Amino acid sequence: MEQHDIIPVVSLLAVLMPLLSFVLCMFFVPKSISGKVAVSSIAVSFIASCFVFFKIWNAGNIHIQHHWFTLGQTSWDVGLLLNNLSALMILLVSGIAFLVHIYSLAYMKGDENIDRYWGYLSLFCSSMLGLVIADNLLLIYIFWELVGFSSYLLIGFWRTRDAAVQANKKAFIMNRLGDLGFLLALMILYSQFGTLDIEKLFGDGGLFHLSQFTSGEWIAPLGHISYVWLLVCGFGFVFGALAKSAQFPLHTWLPDAMEGPTAVSSLIHAATMVAAGVFLLVRVSPIFDSTVLITIAVIGIFTAFMASTIALVQNDIKRILAYSTISQLGFMMLAIGIGNNGAAIFHLATHAFFKCLLFLCAGSVIHEMHYAKNKLDADCDHQDIRNMGGLRKMMPLTFVTMVIAALALCGIPLTSGYLSKDAILISSFEWATTRSFAAKLIPYLAMLTSWLTTFYIARLIFKVFYGELRIQGDKTERLIHEAPRFMLMPQLFLAVCSAFFLFSVNPLSYENTWLLKVFPGSVALERIHSYHTVIPALLNLFAVLIIYFAYIQYARKEKAMFRENTWLYNFALNGWYFDEFYHQAIVRPVTYVSKFSFSIDRKVIDGLVDIVGKSGVLLSSIAGWLDRKLIDGFVNLAGRAAAGLGNFFRSFQSGRIQYYLAVMIFVVLTFFVLRYFSPAI
Amino acid sequence: MNLLSILTFLPLIAGIIILVAPSGWQKQFKYITLAVTLVQIAISGYIYFHFDNSLRGVDLINSYQFKEQISWIRLDLGSMGKLQIDYFLGIDGLSVPFLLLTSIIMMVATISSWEIKTNLKGYFALFLLLDTAIIGVFCALDFFLFYIFYELMLLPLYFLIGMWGGVRREYAAIKFFLYTLAGSVFMLLIMVGLYFSVTDPETGNHTFNMVHMMNPANYSGDSIFGSLAQQTLLGIPARLLGFIILFIAFAIKVPIVPLHTWLPDAHVEAPTPVSIILAGILLKVGGYGILRICYGIFPDAAIHTSWWLGLIGVVSIVYGALNALAQKDLKRLIAYSSVSHMGFVLLGTASLTAEGAAGSVMQMISHGFLSAMLFFLVGIVYNRVHDREIANFRGLANIMPQYTAFVMIAFFASLGLPGFSAFIAEAFSLIGAFNSETVNGAIPRWMAIAGSVGILLSAAYFLWTLQRMFFGQTRLMGGEEWRTKLNDLTMREKLALAPLALLALILGVFPSLAFDKINGSVLELIHHVTGK
Amino acid sequence: MIPLSNFMMLSAALFVIGLYAVLVKRNVIQLLIGIEFMINAALINFVAAGKSDKNYMGGQMTALFTIVIAAASVAVALAIILNVYKYYKSIDPDKLNKLRD
Repeated sequence: MEQHDIIPVVSLLAVLMPLLSFVLCMFFVPKSISGKVAVSSIAVSFIASCFVFFKIWNAGNIHIQHHWFTLGQTSWDVGLLLNNLSALMILLVSGIAFLVHIYSLAYMKGDENIDRYWGYLSLFCSSMLGLVIADNLLLIYIFWELVGFSSYLLIGFWRTRDAAVQANKKAFIMNRLGDLGFLLALMILYSQFGTLDIEKLFGDGGLFHLSQFTSGEWIAPLGHISYVWLLVCGFGFVFGALAKSAQFPLHTWLPDAMEGPTAVSSLIHAATMVAAGVFLLVRVSPIFDSTVLITIAVIGIFTAFMASTIALVQNDIKRILAYSTISQLGFMMLAIGIGNNGAAIFHLATHAFFKCLLFLCAGSVIHEMHYAKNKLDADCDHQDIRNMGGLRKMMPLTFVTMVIAALALCGIPLTSGYLSKDAILISSFEWATTRSFAAKLIPYLAMLTSWLTTFYIARLIFKVFYGELRIQGDKTERLIHEAPRFMLMPQLFLAVCSAFFLFSVNPLSYENTWLLKVFPGSVALERIHSYHTVIPALLNLFAVLIIYFAYIQYARKEKAMFRENTWLYNFALNGWYFDEFYHQAIVRPVTYVSKFSFSIDRKVIDGLVDIVGKSGVLLSSIAGWLDRKLIDGFVNLAGRAAAGLGNFFRSFQSGRIQYYLAVMIFVVLTFFVLRYFSPAI
Repeated sequence: MNLLSILTFLPLIAGIIILVAPSGWQKQFKYITLAVTLVQIAISGYIYFHFDNSLRGVDLINSYQFKEQISWIRLDLGSMGKLQIDYFLGIDGLSVPFLLLTSIIMMVATISSWEIKTNLKGYFALFLLLDTAIIGVFCALDFFLFYIFYELMLLPLYFLIGMWGGVRREYAAIKFFLYTLAGSVFMLLIMVGLYFSVTDPETGNHTFNMVHMMNPANYSGDSIFGSLAQQTLLGIPARLLGFIILFIAFAIKVPIVPLHTWLPDAHVEAPTPVSIILAGILLKVGGYGILRICYGIFPDAAIHTSWWLGLIGVVSIVYGALNALAQKDLKRLIAYSSVSHMGFVLLGTASLTAEGAAGSVMQMISHGFLSAMLFFLVGIVYNRVHDREIANFRGLANIMPQYTAFVMIAFFASLGLPGFSAFIAEAFSLIGAFNSETVNGAIPRWMAIAGSVGILLSAAYFLWTLQRMFFGQTRLMGGEEWRTKLNDLTMREKLALAPLALLALILGVFPSLAFDKINGSVLELIHHVTGK
Repeated sequence: MIPLSNFMMLSAALFVIGLYAVLVKRNVIQLLIGIEFMINAALINFVAAGKSDKNYMGGQMTALFTIVIAAASVAVALAIILNVYKYYKSIDPDKLNKLRD
C-alpha cells in the first residue's frame, strides 16, 4: 500500500483502538484485565500517533472523506484532516493519555469499579483523538460533545459522593450552554456556504476567503446577510470554547470537576479536554474579525488574572491547580486574541506537560496522605495543603519533579514553560505598541498575573514540601513513602519534557522553537528588540524575588500570609462569588420560571380544558333540566290541563238532585230570556 | 396478497382469534400477540429493505410503492353523482419508516404487557385492534379509509387507559378521547368538503383519494376548496380554513402547546405498555398527518402559515422543557419532555427546507424509540414499588446498576448526545430552521436560536433527575422494604430495552439507514409545497 | 172580571215558591211538597186558562187529570223515598249522591 494511503488508516487506528477498549472494558472483559486492555490500546494509539506525526509534520496535508449520508441536495461526509496542527495534537493527546494510563494503574488500584474507570477513560481518549483529526465542523461538534460526556462520566466516577455528582451535572450543563454558541456558529456557516468542511472553508482559496464584506453585508456563495452575523458566528465559536476551556464566564465548573480522580483531572482538565477550546479557535481563526479578537484577548487576560487571584488563597491542592489551569488557558486565549496562534499552541503543548505533571505529583501526594490518614484514623482533609508539610524528605522524587513543573509554570529560564510564556508576553507587548491605552494595559496585566502565578505555586510547593508535617500522630513520617513505581515513571518522563530541550535548542529565546516555525497564523508583528531582552529579564528577576519571599513566608515562618477574615480574602477564597451569583441569577430564576409555567399549564391551560369539559357537563345538565321542566313540562301541562278541564266538568256530576234541577231550570230560563230578546232563536 | 394489507389486518385477525378463544388459553394470549408483532417486524423489515429509494411518492401517484387499490364502495346517489370510496393503500418515503417503527414499538409494548394481570382477553384484543388501526393510518391513501383507521385508534385506547390504568384513569381516558375526537370531528367536515371539490381524473366521480386531492388540476372550478374560485368561509379563505382545521386536528395529537394538556394525564395514568404505544407511535400519527395531509393537500396555505407553525414549534420546545424541569413525578417529566421533543418536529416541518423536514421525520423515528425506552424504564420502578416520585428515590445506581446504565443511555440519547439518533434529528431540524430564512424565507432565524435553548433545558432536567434519583448515597422512602423489592433488570426487560438502545445508536452512527428512504420523499414534498 | 194575568201571577208565585222549595230544602219530603206546589201552580194556570174554553172545558179536564197524576207521582215518590231512607238512613237530598261520578 502506498504510504499516502497508510497514514489515514493508521490515524484511524489511533482513534478506534481506545473505542474498542471502551466496549471491551464496559461489557466484555473481567475487571482484572480491564487495565491491561486499556493500557495496551492506548499504547497502540500512541505508537500510531507517533507514526502519523513524523509523516505529516511539515510534509503536506492529507484529507480523506467518506460519504456518510445525503440530506436534501447536500452530501454530508465523515473524514480526516491531517495537517500540522492535527498531527501535533494527536501526538500530544495520545502521549499524555498513555502516561496517565500507566499512572492510573497504580493510582486507581483496588477500586471496585475499575472496569468502568478504564472504559470511561478509553472513551475519552477515543473522542479526544477523533476531535483533533476530524475534518468538518459537524464532526468536531460531535466529538466535542462526546468529550464532554466522557468528562461527565469521569468527574462523577465516584458516584456515591454527592459533591461529585453535583459537579458533573454542572460541568455538562455549562458545557452544553457553550455548545449552543458552537451550534449557532455552525448554522450560520452552513447557511452561508453550504458546507462545514474545514479545508473547503478555510484552506487556501477556501470559500470563506472568497466571501466579501461590503457595506455592512457579508456576501457568500449561498446568500448574503448582515455583517452582524459574522460577529455572531465568531462569538458563537468563542462561547463554545469558553465553556470547554473554562474561561470567564463559564469557568466555574472546572474547580468543582476536581471531585474526579486526580489522574482524570490531570488528563482531562489540565492537558487535553480543556485545550480543545483553544484548538477549535485556532482551527476557525480566519472567521474572527478584530472585534472578536479583542474580546478574546480581554476575556483571556481577565480570566487569567482572576483565576490567579483566587488560586492565591485556596487550600485544597487540586483547586489551586485547577485555578492555575484556568489562568494558563487565559494566557492561551490572550495569544489567540493578539493573533499569535502559534504561541497559543506552543503554550498549550508545554502547559499540557507541566500541568499534567503537577497534577500527577499532587496525585502522588494525595495518595500518600490518604494512606497515612487511613492508618492514623485521622479526621482531616488529605487534600488540604495546611495539613501537609515536609514531604520532600519522604517523597524526594515527587518533590523534584513537582519543582521542575512549578518552575515551568513560573516561566523560569531553562524550562519549556519559559519559552512559551515569553512568546505570549513579548508578542502581547509588541501587539500593544500600536494600540490604545486600554490595550496597553493588557500586557502589564499579563506580567502581573505571571508574578501572581509564581507566588501561588511557590506557596503550594513550600507548604507541601517544606516545614513539618502537620497531621498529628506517632511516627507519621514513617507512614509516608515515595509514590509507587508506576506513578513515578510518568512523572519523571514529564519532568524531562518540561525542560527546554524538547522544544528548542536555545533555552532563552523562543523564536527558534521548531513548533512555532510551522504556524503561519501569527500576525506579522514588528519585532522590537528591546522587548525581547528587557521583559524576560524583568519577569524572571521579580519571579525569583517572589519565590524567595514565599520561601521565607511559608517554609521558614510557616505563617499564613493573608489575613483570613478580610473581605478581599473571602472574595478570592469563594472564587469571586461567581457560583453564588450564578445560582441566584440563573438557577433560581430558571427553576422559578419552570414552576411558574407548570402552574400555568395546570391552572390556566388545563384549567381551560377543564372549564370546557365542565361547561359541557353544565350545558348538558341545563339541557336536561330544560328537557325535564320545560319540554316535558309542556307535555305534562297539556295532560294536567285536560285533567283539570275534565275535573271541572266532572264536578257537574255531583249526584245532588237539587243541583241538577237548578241547572235545568237555569238553562230553560236562559233560553226563554234569550228568546225574548232576540226572536231568531 | 398485498403485503401492506397483510401487515394491516394480521393483528385484527389475531384479535378476533383471541376474542373467540376459550378462556383456558389465558396464558397464550401474550404469546400470540408477541408472535403477531414479530411477524409484523419481519414483514415491515422486508418492505423497508425492498423499498426503492428513487421513487418519490408524495404527490406522484405512480411512485407510491406496494400499492393496493380496490374499489370498495360505489354507490349511485342520483343527483349527487356516484359515491366512490376506494380501499387504497400505499407507502412512500414518508411512511415507510413509520411502519417499521410501529412494528418494533408494538413488540416492545407486548413484552411490557407481561405485567398485565387482569382481563387478558379484552386487553390483548384491544391491543391488536389498535395495532391494525395504526398501521392502517400510515398506509391509507384514501381519505375516508384514513379517517376510519384514525378514529378506530381512539376506541381501544379509551378502554386500555380507562380500564387498566392508574388512579385517575377514567378522567384521563375520557379527556384524551374527547379532546382527540373534537379535533377529528372537524376534520370530517373538511374531508367531505374536499370530496365534493375533487374529481377523479379517470372516473369523473368525486373521490376521497388523497393523492388526487394534492393535485390542483383535479379541483372543479367553483368548488369550495378549488384554488381558482378563492371561496371564503366565514370571511376566511376556504383553503386556509381547511388547512387550519386539519392542522388543529393533527396538532392535538402531536401535541402542540396549548393543545397538549391531555398528554401528561393520559401518559401518566395509562399502564406502561399503553404509554409506550402512546408516546412511541401515536404522537407520530399527528406529525405524519401534518406532512401528508395538511402539507400535501393545502401547500399554499402551508406557506402562508409557516411563521405561525414555527412559532408554535418553538413555544412547544421551550414550554415543554420548562414544565419538565418543574415535575416531581418521573413519568410526568418524561411526558412533558415528549411535548418538548415533538416541538422540534413542528419547527423542522415549518422551515420548509430539506434539512428541516428530514430532521423532523428523523426526530419522529428517533423519539419513537427513545420515548418507548424511557416509559418502559419508568414502568420498571413503578412495577416494583408502585411509586414514581423522584424525591422518594436516591442513589438507585448502587442497587440497580444495569438499570442505571440503561437509564443513562436513554437520558443521554434523549437529550441529543451525538452518537445517538436524536442528535442528528435535532441538529438538522435546527439547521433547517436556521437556513429557512436564506432559502425560502418561511421562518425567521431567531426561531432556530430559540429552539436550540431546548437542548440546553433537556440536559438540565435529565441530568438533574439522574443526579437526584440515581447517584449519591442510597436513600429510599420505603426503606428496607423497597430495597428488597428493587431488583435489577430481568431478562425480559433487558430483551425489550436492548434493541431500542441499539437502534438509537445505529441510527445515530448510520443515519443513512433512515435518511436514504426519507430523502427522496422529503425533496418531493418540499418541491410540492414551495416549488423549489 | 178578574184579569187573566192575576191568575197567572198567582200561579207563577206558587210555582216559584215550589221551585224554591225543590231547590233549597234539605228534606226530600219538603222537596215533594215543592213539587206539589209546582204542579198545583200549573193546575191553577190551566183552570184560569180554561175560562176561555167553554166548549170542551179543556182547562178543567186537564186540571182534573193533573190532580190524579200529582197524586200518583207523590205516591211513587214517597215509595222511592221510603226505600231510599232504608238505604241511606237519611232524607237529606245532598246525602243521596251515589249517582255521582
